[in-house]
Amino acid sequence: MNSQWLKFAWLNTLRNRRRSSVTVGIAALGTAAILLAGGFALFTYQALEQSSARSTGHLIVGKAEQFQRDEDVPLQHGLDDVAALKATLLADPDVRQVLPRVEFSGLISNGDKSTVMMAAGIDPDAEFAVKGPFLRVKAGAVLASGQHRMVMLGEGLARSLKATPGTSLTLLASTTEGALNALDVTVQGVFSTGIPEIDKRLVYTDVDTAQKLLVTHRVSSLGVFLRDMEATTPARSRVAAALPKLAVQTWLDQATFYKSVKALYNRIFGALGLIIGVIVVFVVTNAMAMAIIERTREIGTLRAVGTLPAQLTQSFALEGMVLGGAGSILGALIALAVSVALLVFPVEMPPPPGRSNGYPLQIVMDPTLYAATLAAMVGLSMLASAFVARRTVTRPIVDALAHV
Amino acid sequence: MSTTDLSFTSPSARPPEAGLGPRGGPSAVLRGRGVVMTPVLELRGVHKTYRLGEHVVPALRGVDLALQAGEMLALTGPSGSGKSTLLNLAGLIDRPDAGEVRLRGDVVTGIGETQATLIRRDAIGFVFQTFNLVPVMTVADNVDYPLFLTGRPVAERRERVAQMLQAVGLAEHAKHRPDALSGGQRQRVAIARALVKRPTLVIADEPTASLDSHTADQVLDLMREQGHAQGVAFLIATHDARLLRRCDRVIALLDGQIIDPQKESSNELAMA
Repeated sequence: MNSQWLKFAWLNTLRNRRRSSVTVGIAALGTAAILLAGGFALFTYQALEQSSARSTGHLIVGKAEQFQRDEDVPLQHGLDDVAALKATLLADPDVRQVLPRVEFSGLISNGDKSTVMMAAGIDPDAEFAVKGPFLRVKAGAVLASGQHRMVMLGEGLARSLKATPGTSLTLLASTTEGALNALDVTVQGVFSTGIPEIDKRLVYTDVDTAQKLLVTHRVSSLGVFLRDMEATTPARSRVAAALPKLAVQTWLDQATFYKSVKALYNRIFGALGLIIGVIVVFVVTNAMAMAIIERTREIGTLRAVGTLPAQLTQSFALEGMVLGGAGSILGALIALAVSVALLVFPVEMPPPPGRSNGYPLQIVMDPTLYAATLAAMVGLSMLASAFVARRTVTRPIVDALAHV
Repeated sequence: MSTTDLSFTSPSARPPEAGLGPRGGPSAVLRGRGVVMTPVLELRGVHKTYRLGEHVVPALRGVDLALQAGEMLALTGPSGSGKSTLLNLAGLIDRPDAGEVRLRGDVVTGIGETQATLIRRDAIGFVFQTFNLVPVMTVADNVDYPLFLTGRPVAERRERVAQMLQAVGLAEHAKHRPDALSGGQRQRVAIARALVKRPTLVIADEPTASLDSHTADQVLDLMREQGHAQGVAFLIATHDARLLRRCDRVIALLDGQIIDPQKESSNELAMA
């Protein structure tokens, strides 16, 4: 393409500056809206990815049956010889920590009232060191390794049992043999996960206490924490090769909430982007259609002096490129400015449905999203312009020259 | 219906360079003792009809015409006589319903649109009554446009544009936009645009109609001077009596037919 055509297109966009400005403005707002909505969706995805991986570990190692079917008795499909497995896993260069997990259910009682609990036995120091402040402590303190028969209760559960730090409670659960066992514990702290429904049931204790209650040395699974998210896929292959008798799942395999949110957001933001794209295309089409009608006689002249229809179509497509390009670049700058402003001046979002905690509104500035949006805007503007030009540039020259 | 002697040799006609037409074909044939030039433009039995709703309007009815290199031929006649239609057919921006159009000896009646466009680009210049310059381009860019289409090197284009603007007396206005020029100056730009590619034929539709008499004289002088300098044939539709007097030949059209061959002959004699 000769740069003279681009110069010609540029000059043509300046003919009616007000109309071009409106077109560029709408394209800019459309682009900014797509980038901000897309950036927010990406922020949500990334936050949920981190949250999911932090909850389960990037990799989860267990027996295949553990992931395929329910247990008849607690830890029926649990792992033995955890120390040896941990040593094998920690030998991998990408593995940062391996956290055993004993998952069980049962009853929790304060003597007057008993209620259902979902409990997890964890390695407290390692868990909090790796996961960071994943729980919001409402009262008391977090668990510490070496402390036995201590529990942390979800906020709703503590309220139900009228429990505060220091309160004595009793855990009741079926052992691995099917018998009922009970263990007295003391409340170390009260936490909130941000999901009230979970906070009504969840109990954390240490692995030893859980194993004592269930009368076993097994654990349900091992959560493997890696140095970064990108290491997940290659590390999974290596771990699967190193432990051929066990099954290895990634955080994504267990992240049902993340997958549902992503599917929902993809549809919502995809539809939004489509609508905005259609609006921008209509605006560019309308502006170009008006410009082309006004220049019908000039098109006839240019055709008469030897311009091919394809060259004129290309010229109008370049005009669309100039309008769409200017609009999308301006829109990208607006989106960048808003994204940076949200980092400097944080805005707190209200809690999502089913959650009790809000979160800071952030917009991800993803180069791929920006490049794809700009390319789509420019491409659509070019196609729209070429589409509306095609009829006029192929109109008989005599008719075009007679156009008033 | 009038017929025109196809072997007519204009007094102002001059042989093209190297004796070959621009497309390499012979531009002259020997007939008897004299050299007979192949006409730049020939129309043979050309018919053209327009359909306006249910009405069929014959615009041209069996027109024969030949135009030699360097010749300036004026078409005159009342509105609706077929002048513009004839110009459109000669300029390859319209097609006849019947008959034949030849350019430099080649039949161009049945060629495709792309080929016709390329012939217009390379060999035909246009001058319009209302100038039809591109308003967003400078004077130099307007004149350069036909050269740009041909893909010539930038340096060559710049040189030719400068020469052409010098020739039409607008060198100092090269960077101006058309709207900064007077009507006469704009028409001179249009003439420069038509001639810069050194065409074999220039089609001019009422080139002086929008100009005052003094400016019209200047424009006519310019067309004659540049046309003769380059050996370009001019086909001009006009009502302007001064322009008619200064053309090599005049053909009158009425109801789509050439009606006044005597006038044509007398004009030739007068010029001879």
